[in-house]
Amino acid sequence: MKPEYHLQVSRLCKNHGRRLILNELEFSLPKGSCTLLTGENGAGKTTLLRILANLEKPDRGRLRLTEQPWQPWRKMRRTLQQRVMYLHQHPYMFNGTVEYNLRFALGSRVPQRDAEPLIGKAIRLIGMEAFRKTAARTLSGGERQRVALARAWLRSPQVMLLDEPTANLDYESRQRTLELLQRLRNDGMTLVIASHDPLHFEGLTEQRLHLQAGKIEAVALNMNPAAQPANVVSMRRDYA
Amino acid sequence: MTCRNIFVRIFSLFLLTLSALQFAVAQAGEPQQVIRLATTTSTDNSGLLQALLPYFEKGNGYKVHVIAVGTGKALRMGRDGDVDVVLVHARKAEDEFVREGFGERRFSVMYNDFVLVGPAGYPAGVRDSRDAGDAFRKIARHEALFISRSDDSGTHKKELGLWKKAGIKPEGKWYREAGQGMGKVLQMAGELSAYTLTDRGTWLAYREKLPLRIAFEGDPLLFNPYGIIAVNPEVHPHINHEGAMALIRWMTGKEGQARIAAFTLHGQQLFKPDAKADEVALLKP
Amino acid sequence: MSALLEATEKALELLISGDEALWQIIAISFKVSGSAILIATPPALLIAFALAYLRFPGRRVLVSLFSTLLSVPAVVVGLTLYLLLSNRGPLGDWRLLFTQSAMVLGQIALAFPILVAMGHAALQSADKRAWETARTLGASPLRAFFVVIRETRFGLLAALLAAYGRIIAEVGASMMLGGNILNYTRNIPTAIALETSKGEFAQGIALGAILLLLAFTLNGLLHYVQGKGVQTS
Repeated sequence: MKPEYHLQVSRLCKNHGRRLILNELEFSLPKGSCTLLTGENGAGKTTLLRILANLEKPDRGRLRLTEQPWQPWRKMRRTLQQRVMYLHQHPYMFNGTVEYNLRFALGSRVPQRDAEPLIGKAIRLIGMEAFRKTAARTLSGGERQRVALARAWLRSPQVMLLDEPTANLDYESRQRTLELLQRLRNDGMTLVIASHDPLHFEGLTEQRLHLQAGKIEAVALNMNPAAQPANVVSMRRDYA
Repeated sequence: MTCRNIFVRIFSLFLLTLSALQFAVAQAGEPQQVIRLATTTSTDNSGLLQALLPYFEKGNGYKVHVIAVGTGKALRMGRDGDVDVVLVHARKAEDEFVREGFGERRFSVMYNDFVLVGPAGYPAGVRDSRDAGDAFRKIARHEALFISRSDDSGTHKKELGLWKKAGIKPEGKWYREAGQGMGKVLQMAGELSAYTLTDRGTWLAYREKLPLRIAFEGDPLLFNPYGIIAVNPEVHPHINHEGAMALIRWMTGKEGQARIAAFTLHGQQLFKPDAKADEVALLKP
Repeated sequence: MSALLEATEKALELLISGDEALWQIIAISFKVSGSAILIATPPALLIAFALAYLRFPGRRVLVSLFSTLLSVPAVVVGLTLYLLLSNRGPLGDWRLLFTQSAMVLGQIALAFPILVAMGHAALQSADKRAWETARTLGASPLRAFFVVIRETRFGLLAALLAAYGRIIAEVGASMMLGGNILNYTRNIPTAIALETSKGEFAQGIALGAILLLLAFTLNGLLHYVQGKGVQTS
């Protein structure tokens, strides 16, 4: 069966000064899939994610959403802004309580009456009911990561991009984050995870994109998340 | 949570204080008709204008903004059209101001006189001078400390004139050029036990706070007439000429002259009214 | 010594008895400096924000320009504005010389570089992710701007207090531009200068005490605010 693509990217280019970061990239994100993005430091993983989240402009590129015609990138920036959510490696917590941080994602137009149950739901999702009134900046890295996930979830994005979500987390925090990601994916969200540690996400990801020298080098598509992709060995070599 | 509240509290307190003060200020400052009067520090610091002007303002519906500076600066402001009327005491500069067309006409208002003041011991024997020239020559000969206004004020011009009359070019360590107002210079003279030339009005106002005495007075050369001049509306059409003329009429008129005569400080009359009948006759209401 | 004590005693008496002339001077001071700060702050913040967050040609020049302006003496600002606002000057038609508006203008000119330079430093030190996170969470650029302002509020408040402290105590520009007119443009610093020159030390001391008190309060607030900023960042 032909997979249904959520996002298709074509001829994506990006230069930083004279340095070519992304060179005519071509890839697709299947709907409701989880994609692992690997590559060495400086290979352009973060730049790619930021471009997809409309935090940076590419030099060139085309984009196609599900069942819609191809469009030049600049025409799609608003759409990306609305549907794609980017999570920093070290999420930024606003100066305020966990509740304030979650409330922020809903914007001031959502009345308090409607916001309350949503915030409750988000906070239950990450299992942090007890931290509702805690100053967000006093939380640990793993807790911040989860608050950031809940905050992003409140925007109900269709695609979520995560930059090294498990870096610097202890085992328990990592497991909790992975469980959360699993749930989000099961709910039909399309995920892209940039990581140095592909092993952490085994069983979660169906597709791997490997960035090297501005190109996507290895692409393994596997619609069955339980199975191991064939090129896992080469990935591990890069990782080492 | 708490830090936010405190912040909000501090900030709103700050804004509240500000806005409360904004409204607390009486709007006295911005009436319909303002007359800008540039004058010398001697008329303002002595309290004369503060005693006089409220009567004028009440009777005429004007508000007078007094800018007290040296005579030179006051005339310069008139020249530039930054004020409507000037009240100064430096006859030569006043006549020049009128001759060059910046002022309309000079009207005599009042006079006081200058006195030479110095430390109680009267060094250099200044007290026994025959006339002003003699007193100044003695100071120069004995190199007694002398503080000059050196601010282009009427008093400064008078002082320079007196040195010239005495045939002396004042310079040297004993001659200090302060560049300050009269009150400041009197204080400096007090602190340094020096001589200085002052108008009698300022002297009377400061006398009690100073260790100085009058060393010489009474020479007609020390006569100090004040003139009031409206800025020429042909040169500066935007000025409040009507207001300026109203003020001149009042100052040279019966009430103004009577009030000048009645103004005293420490029981002494400071200024003698001096309006000339032939000049006043030119002022049609 | 006894003269000083006597004058101080009289000063306290003036303050406590609510001497009208004295309080009028104080009110004018707060009115003028308050207006200057209120007018100067929004544009200064926008410029500080642009300098910290936007990349445009001439940005570095502007940054160093504003830090140079920081050290321009008040009398030079006063003189420049005097020449501009004088009837003979290019802005003479505004008829602003010797009005409260002229003083406000002078104080704006003095406060502006402080607000921009210190505001820029505060915003610069802020985490760039604040803006980005706000934007990705759906905030409009305007709302994101206010988020950054909120996140750096302690540093910005410190800039505000520093600027206010400078202009409320400033004498040179106020004297030149306002003309020290009684009940109109005579504020605390110009009144102190005048009273001192008149030898009326009691009023000078009373007004000086107000300024001193204000300086203490502002400094206390500043320290408190900066302490807060350190704690929460």
